[in-house]
Formats: sequence, structure tokens, C-alpha cells
Amino acid sequence: MNTSGAVNAPRPLDGAGDAPTLSELEAQAGRAQPAFGEHAHILCDNLVRIYKTEGVEVVALQGLDLLIEKGELIAIVGASGSGKSTLLNVLSGLDVPTAGIARVAGTDLLAMTAKDRLRYRREVVGFIWQQTARNLLPYLTARENVRLPMRLAGNKARVAHADELLDLLGVAYCADRRPSEMSGGEQQRVAIAVALANSPQVILADEPTGELDSDNSEQVFAALRRANRELGVTAVIVTHDALVSEQVDRTVGIRDGRTSSETLRRASSDGEIIAEEYAVLDRVGRLQLPRDFTSALDMERRVRLELERDHIGVWPDRPKTGEDE
Amino acid sequence: MNPLLLLKVHRGAAAVLAVLALSATLLVGALPRTFERSYDEALHGVLTGTAATLKDLTITAPAGFVGQLSTEQEFAAGDRHFREVLPPALAAVLDRGPGSHDHYGAKTTGTPVAGRLGPGQRPYQYVDLAWLSGMDRRIRYVAGSPPGPPRSTSARLPGSPDVQDLTLFEVALPEQASKMMGIPIGTTLVLGNSSPSLAKVTGLYAPLDRRDPYWDHNHDTIVVTARRVPGSDAEEHHITAFTSRESLTALNEARSLDYRWVLGVDGAAVTARNAPDVIQGLTDYLRALVTDTDGPVRYNAQVGVAPYRLNTALSDVLKGFLDRLTTAQTLLILILGGLITVAVGVLALAVQLLAERMRAALALARARGASLGRIVLAGTGVVAIALVPAVLAGYGLAFLVPGPVTPIVHIGPLLITLVALAFAAARLATSHRKPLHDRRDDVVARRPSPRRVALEALVVVLALAGAYLLRTRGLTTQTLRQGADPFLMFVPAALTLAAALITLRCYPYPLRLVVWAAARARAAVPFVGLTLAARAQAVTALPVLILLPALTVSVYGATVSGALDSTQRVAAWQATGAAARVESAAELPADLVERVRAVPGVRTLVPADKGNAQIGLGGKTATVIAMDLDAYRRILSGTPLSAPPPPAGPSAPAIPALVSPDLSTLTTFELGWHVRMKVTKAGIIRGGLPGVSFATSNLIVVPYDASKRAGFRTYANMLLIDGDGIDGAKLRAAVGDRPDVLVWTFDESLRKVTGTPLTGTIMTGFRVVTMALAGYALLTVIIALIIGAADRARALSYLRTLGLSERQAASLTVLEISPLILLTAVAGLLLGLALPSALGSAIDLRAYAGDLAVSDTGFGLTAPILLAAGLAAVSVLGAFLHAGFGARRSLGSVLRVGE
Repeated sequence: MNTSGAVNAPRPLDGAGDAPTLSELEAQAGRAQPAFGEHAHILCDNLVRIYKTEGVEVVALQGLDLLIEKGELIAIVGASGSGKSTLLNVLSGLDVPTAGIARVAGTDLLAMTAKDRLRYRREVVGFIWQQTARNLLPYLTARENVRLPMRLAGNKARVAHADELLDLLGVAYCADRRPSEMSGGEQQRVAIAVALANSPQVILADEPTGELDSDNSEQVFAALRRANRELGVTAVIVTHDALVSEQVDRTVGIRDGRTSSETLRRASSDGEIIAEEYAVLDRVGRLQLPRDFTSALDMERRVRLELERDHIGVWPDRPKTGEDE
Repeated sequence: MNPLLLLKVHRGAAAVLAVLALSATLLVGALPRTFERSYDEALHGVLTGTAATLKDLTITAPAGFVGQLSTEQEFAAGDRHFREVLPPALAAVLDRGPGSHDHYGAKTTGTPVAGRLGPGQRPYQYVDLAWLSGMDRRIRYVAGSPPGPPRSTSARLPGSPDVQDLTLFEVALPEQASKMMGIPIGTTLVLGNSSPSLAKVTGLYAPLDRRDPYWDHNHDTIVVTARRVPGSDAEEHHITAFTSRESLTALNEARSLDYRWVLGVDGAAVTARNAPDVIQGLTDYLRALVTDTDGPVRYNAQVGVAPYRLNTALSDVLKGFLDRLTTAQTLLILILGGLITVAVGVLALAVQLLAERMRAALALARARGASLGRIVLAGTGVVAIALVPAVLAGYGLAFLVPGPVTPIVHIGPLLITLVALAFAAARLATSHRKPLHDRRDDVVARRPSPRRVALEALVVVLALAGAYLLRTRGLTTQTLRQGADPFLMFVPAALTLAAALITLRCYPYPLRLVVWAAARARAAVPFVGLTLAARAQAVTALPVLILLPALTVSVYGATVSGALDSTQRVAAWQATGAAARVESAAELPADLVERVRAVPGVRTLVPADKGNAQIGLGGKTATVIAMDLDAYRRILSGTPLSAPPPPAGPSAPAIPALVSPDLSTLTTFELGWHVRMKVTKAGIIRGGLPGVSFATSNLIVVPYDASKRAGFRTYANMLLIDGDGIDGAKLRAAVGDRPDVLVWTFDESLRKVTGTPLTGTIMTGFRVVTMALAGYALLTVIIALIIGAADRARALSYLRTLGLSERQAASLTVLEISPLILLTAVAGLLLGLALPSALGSAIDLRAYAGDLAVSDTGFGLTAPILLAAGLAAVSVLGAFLHAGFGARRSLGSVLRVGE
């Protein structure tokens, strides 16, 4: 998995070595290089989304980088206004980024025609909103709701497939109920079935458990994980819910429109889950230091860096007192 | 996406749309029919009141130039020929019914009776001879027998024994003529001084039905015409005698003989729509007849005289009517255009409501992979299913309203349907073009692009330029041929659009001032409400585009009808001079005055004396009125009439006088009236005394007792009466129903002025349209508020969690929409008031106001302002209603919606 910052770094730092000659640089430029995230299922590189309002620009995404492999189940967390929903809207093809690269399952999201976009929404992605009421048409039954995307895509709306999906998500008994006759959890699970109706490669969920109690949240998350495992669908979940974010393999934190941190979880030898938080190093070498760290050491404006053999040291910009290390 | 399911879910909004479509179609279908019907009724009224001689086509040919027709067959062939060459437009309006009074025949004119064979000579008698088809069926013989064929006689004329071979015609006379002219049966008259012939009276007849239009043409055959012989006290009598068909062989150019064919016009077949064609047809027919060489009369090309003459006043009658009609049509098209605009606008608003209701479902479908075409198709399908049956129902219902079917009756509903569907499709396409569910209205605010600002400025400039051109160049006078001037339709529409654009663009600015003031006040509700209004998030351009024409048209209607009404009243006052007037050429006796005084309702009488008097000793005369101007001024108070104060000249026995400006050079002069009197000029009277005398020049007004002061007594030949509810019939009875005493009452005069054909149509049109517009204005505000209801409910609910009471929430809603309504009302009022000036020269209402010019200034502002205020109030009421219903939802349910 190419998830750590080390992989994101474009080239090993040259340190204090000699400057390359011009011919070396030319040769280096001419060499074929592996493209950034070439094999990733979802790729965001330096993604920018700017909303223009009366004379003021609101930069919702300010150069976000993200790589997600096929079949991964990741959570995206962040404070309100950090750009999570904008990212999800971009990935679902509902919004167009201002600049950067966004590619999902080989589809370039910036260079899509209206027709491509429609095909993309029909075949590549499925999504689930936070509001249970918004995901389903209130006057259709669960089965009809699941069949709706199939019919919209012009596919043969097979009743059996809809029932299979409902069954997979554990809501087969709701097939003939309308949303008003279901609990919130059931509605969200039907919504997941709707999102999966056209067998997409990616499903995107925006706070799918945001309106649910913990029991229902558990069921909905279980349904998402089942879809991920059994259907092999890549799942991206934006969430505030610790219950969700602590159960996925990888949690990406977004701050001020950039990916700021990643938490990887792995099972230790004794079966305990170990979570390690990483900072994200972007392609040009930028790094966000956690606010707690910088404020603890009273770091402001600039820091001093020193390259050691296996790490980089970061010091506050204070006169050296001697034996800092 | 099943449209039927969507329709079922959103049946409320769909029902609103259906009802609006039904009402709009009904109005568009029914109003033009009603208008057309009233135009036709007015035209029929005009034609019914026109004598048959004026409206029928009478083709005459003098026998002198063009040979002789001696058999009925030749006349019948002529009749057929004249009908064959008729232009189709004219042929369509001929009376072909069984009661038709078409006829043909020959008539001599001005044939003097030179004498009689036998006793009983009478001077000054004229007896013409006529044979007319169909006449024998329309008379009965009261004495004697029908005339037989002519014959030659060997009789000798007294005094001209050398004249031989006289023709004797047998004739029949109307009974009345026989008595009046002393021509009993058996009398043989000598007709004509040169080439005389004889006419023997064999029978006397009377018409079967005097009201038959046939007799309009041939009045001379049933009634004696008496004329005063110039320079003599004697009367001459004219009558036309009926002779037999066989006489045609003997009737020739020896007499002044005319052949005539009368083609009766069916007044009911002429309508407001085919009248211009009929006029054109008449012109064409006339041209065809002038060069007609195939006719029954042998045309002598060498003589070069047109063989036939077409006598009819139909063209003039129709032209007069069409002139009047054009004004009415223009007015009604203007207000109907306004109504249709508003109706379509409200319909568009209802479509928007339905589209907003479907937005969530369609947006979800769009996000889940529905193509734009599919979304538009499904949404438009829902609109169509709601709309089309309603339009068809309205179209069908409109046929229940009697009246002719004009193209607009078909085009109107079609247009409404297409506009509504196109609007729905465009609206859906634009709002679902991008599938993003959450449109970030909070961060994205659109600024008007420079292109759009330039376009709007262009519209405003075009509208103003159009109005300027309309005022300077006026309208085309070829309205009969070209129909209404399209420019006249363009200018009000453009002005309204321009005003709407200006209102939309500028209305936040005055509001910000108010907000600035409200921000300094303690109460929060006005500040928040007005701030919301100034940010204009709640309402779109559509309500303004609907409310503004509604207000403009209503105010314009009120202005025009107000001006018309007041001018009509002025005309009626000028025709009467007081609440009632009694006038006679001779002196009114004292007992008659007392009887008039006793008529119920009469309060005051002002006697006056009007006559012509000689000024000085020369030949110059003037209209002299002797009346008590003080008393007259008292009874004129509260009427649009005015009279000058009495001359403040020398007191009795001197006679002060007011003179018209043209007599102002006179100072002291003599008047030769009932008695010679010496009067002194004491002032100038300008503009005459409308109502008492139409004279504005050569007018002298003296005190009522002028004659008495001059040593005679007072005279009265006119009574100006003040009072309430004076009944003309009772007043007439009081003066003894004498034909020489003329009686006018104000009510009768007013009825006469307002009873002009089409006046009622215009007034009713204004009234109906204004009411419909008020209803639409109310609906506009309610629908506009309902469209934004969910957002507003959420915003209000947040405020309510901060402590806003339900009542405050309701007033917030009202405050949010009121500024727009009020500013639109002001704009509509100003535009409505300006329109008469802008169109002033184009719409001439003179024909409807007793020939007084209807001025576009000086009418009351009260009615239009009240109307605008009323419409604004009705609209604000809509906001109140909406706010009242909206307040009932519980806070919890609102706050959870969509969150």
C-alpha cells in the first residue's frame, strides 16, 4: 500500500550533494518516470476547488492529494468546512474541480463531457447522503427505489437483482415498504442498495450514519463493509462518527482543504488493533505539523530543519542553546 | 420517471396549475368573443338605426343616355347581372331572405301636372310615374282597380289642340295623396309641359305594412311631399303614382326617367370583422360599375358618361362605425394584452411551483444517472398532463359564451399551452443542467453580467425611444386597411418591461435607506424583514414581471375610464346646463313655471330669457341671455360647469352687461330686444355659458330684469332647474307635453352620452379585466411565497429558536414581500398614469364623450391611486394569508426538514 508520506515524496532529497550538471538534468527529464498514483483507483493530485462569490473567493480545496487503492474502505474525517463534502461532490461527479487532477477508475473528472459525466454517474459511482430522506424517493417502495437507477441507466431493471442487493444489506423484508415505513437505519441500508444498484466500482458516503443512533449506525456501517468485502467496491466514507472512523483500515484527515494526516490501523500479533497517525508529505515536500506539536514547542513562522541519517529534525527558531538533541 | 406518479404526488401544485390554465384559457377564449359580440351588437344597432335607403345598394341609370328597358325580363336580367359582378365581400352581406325588399323598376322624377282633362284644376302638383317590382304585393287597393296597360288616345289637350297621339297611362295613387291633392279615381291628369302624356287614376291604394324597408326606398309612392314654393306662401305637392308593368314600353326618355335596382343589405350579415371588406367591396363595385359595358343598359361609349350610379351610404356608415370601433378595439386589445401577459405570467409561476415541488425527486434522479433530456421530458410531461386537459376544458367552456369565433380564440389557448410547456422545459433544463444536489447558494451569488446590464439598458432606451416616436409621429391612419398599429402594442409592452427591469434593478436601493433607519430602531423585526427584502432572496423577477403589468393595466384602465366618465359628465352637464332645463322659443307662461316648480325633486328654478337682439341700429345681432348669474352660480356649485359672477356695474335702472370678447370694443350700446334698452359693458365673458348657449361669440349676458329696468317686464323662455332625481317624463307632463317646449334632464343627457354604442363594452371590459388582474395579483404573491416557503420556514424557525414569536414571524414574512409589492405598485401607478400621455394622440376617445376632447391631464388621481393601493393591499393580504397558514407548523417538524 502506498500510503505513507515517504512514497508521496517525489524524489529522495539530495541533501548537501553537488548540484547536478545541465546534461544530467536533461537526461533526468528525458527519462520515463512512473506517473503519480498511476495505479491508484482514486487519485487526487493538487486538487483545487474555488467558489467565487461577490469579489471574494472561497477556496474549498487548496491542493488536496489523495490516493485510494481498488477495494479499499477508507474514512475521511475533518472539521466542519474543511472541504470533505466538496471532495465527495467532486468524486461523485456532481461538482467540477477548478484545477488539479482527479481521476476515478481511470476517468478524468476534469475532462468529462456531459455525456461522460452521465455515464460516470450511472456506471462508476454510487453515493449515499447523510439525510435519510434525501436518498430515497418517499413515494416509491424500497424495491422501486433500488430499481430506479437501473431504469435511469437504461439497464433492464431486474427485480431479482434489486432483491439480492436488499438481501445482501439485510433489508429484504423492507422491499415493499415506503421510506416512511422504515427506520432511519433501514432507510440508509436501502440507500446503500440504491447506490449499488448499477454495480458501481466506487461508493461514496457522506456521513451515512450522521442521523442515526449507535445501533443503527453499527448496522449501516456493517452493510457498507459487507458491500466493500463481498462486492469488492471501493468505499469512501466521510464521517464524524468515531465508530466508523475507528473501524476502517485507513482514516484520512482533511484540514483547510488539504489532506493533513493519515491514520493506519493494523492488527498486532496479539490481535489488538494498533493505530498509527502519520503526517502527509505532499509531492513538493510540504508537510502539515499537528497544531498540538507546534504549540507545545511554541513554533512560529519558521523552524529549523536538520537532515539526519534516518530522519529530519525540526527545531523551533530559537538561538541554539547547545545540546538540544 | 413516471409522470403520472409525480403528478399524483404533487397533485396540489398540479391542481393550482390546472385551475390557472383553465381560468386563463377561459378568459382568453371568452373575452374576445364577448368583445366581438358587443362590437357586432353595436354595429347592428347602428345599421338598424340607419334607413334602408342609406344602407342598401341602389343602382340607378338614367334612361336618357342609355336607351330603354321595356320589359320586366330586361330588369330581371339587369338584376342578375348586377349580382354577378358583385365582389364576394359585398355579395355575402346582401339580404337573400324571404322577407328581402330587393326590387327594381323605373321612376320618373319631377313630372309636373300641366292640367287635367275635365274639372278641378289645381296648381303646384307633381305626379311621377313608377313601376316597381314587388310593389303590387305590398299594397292593397282601397278603391278602384289596379292600373292596366297604357294606350294611345285621341284626346286633345285643352290649350294645345295640335298635340296628337298622346299616351294614356293608367295609374294608382295612395289614398292619402288622392285626398290631399284632390285627385279622385277617374281623374285624367296631363303630365309634363313638353311631350305631355296622360295619366288616368284607376285605383287608390294603401301600403300593407308601412314599416317595410321597401317603403324607405319608395316613400314617395305612399306619402305626399309638400314643399314651400320659393318666394310664395303656396305649397307644392309631389307624389309618385304606381303604373302597370306594361307601361314600361311607353315610358321613355321623354320624361326624366331613371331605372333603378335596389339590392338590400342584411344588417345582421355585416359584422365588425367583415366591415372593412365590405367597404373595399363597395369601392371595387363602384369601379366595376363605372366601366361596366355588359349591363342591361346599352352603354354608349361615345357619350362617355358612366351608365350607372351606385347610391349607398353604407360605406360612410361603416367608416364612421369603424373609426369608433378602432378606438374601442385598441383599448380592449391593450387591456386584454395586459391580462394575457399577466395570466401567462401567473401560469409560469404555477409551473415554477410545480417544478420546485418536483425538484428533489428530479435532482435525485439526475444525480443517480438520469439524462437531462429525461428529466426535462418527465417534468414537462407532468406539467403537460396537468395543463392540457385544463386548457381543453377552458377552450371548450369558452364556447358556451356567445359570440363570434375569432382566430385569437384558437390561438390563445394554444399559445398559453406552448408558453407554459416551453417555460417548464427551459426551467427544468436550467435548474437540472448541473446535477449538484446542494447548490451552494450560500457562497455563490451571481452578479449581473455586463452583457445583461447592457441588454437591460437597451430595452429601456428602446422603450423610451418608442414612446417618444409614438408621441411625435402619431399613428398610421390606415387602420382600416392595416389593422391596429403594431407600434401601439409595442410601446406599452416595452414600457412595462422597461419599468419592470428598472424596478428589479433599483428596488434594493431605496430599501437600503429604510433598512439603515430600521437598524437604528429598537425593534428587530422590521430590520430583519427589510434586510431580507433588500437582499431579495425570497422573490424572483417573475412576480415583479406579473405585478407590474397588472397594476399598469388596472391603473391605465381606471385612468381612462375615469377621464371618460368625467368627460361624459361634463358633456352631459354642458348639454343640460343644470339638473334639468326647460326651453321654448316662445315665452313660458307663469302657470307652466309653477307647474314645473311643483314637479317632485325640483328645488330651485332659475328663469332665463334667451334670444337674438339687434345691436344698436345696424344689422349686427347677438345672442342675448337675461339671467340672474348669482342664482345660476348657486345651482351650479358642485357641477363641472361654471358661470361668471354677475357684472358689478351700475345698479338699476342702468343695465350692466357681460359681453363676449369679440364685442369688447362696445362700451355703452343699445339693444333692440323685447324693448329697446341701453346697456353698459361691465365685463367680458369668455368661453360662453355652456349649457345655456353654445355661442361663445356675439354673446351678451344681462341681468334677468333687464327688460323690466328698460321699462317693460321680465320674460322667461328658459328654466334652469336644480334638484335631485328629477324625472324627465314628469317634467314633460308638467309642461303639457308640448312639442314646442323642449325638456332636458341631466340624467337623460348622461344616458344619451354614455349610451353610445361600445361605451358600455369599454367600461365592462375595464371592470372585468381589473377584477381578474386583482385576483391574479393575489395569486402571484401567494404562489411566489409558497415557492420559497420551505426555505423561509427554515429561516424563520431558526429565528424562532432565538425567541421570535409566531406573530413576529408572520410579520417578518409580510415585511419581506411588502416592499417589493409597494415599490411595484408605485412603479405600476406611475406607468399607468404615464401611459395615457404616452399614447395620448393614439387613442381618441372623443366619440365616446359627446364629442368633447378627453384630456389626458386633469383627471382625478384618486381612483388610480385607490386602485393601486387596493391591488397592493390585496397582494399584501396574500402574504398575510400565507404567513398565517405557515405559522401553524411545529418548530420541530420544520427544523428537521432536510437537515
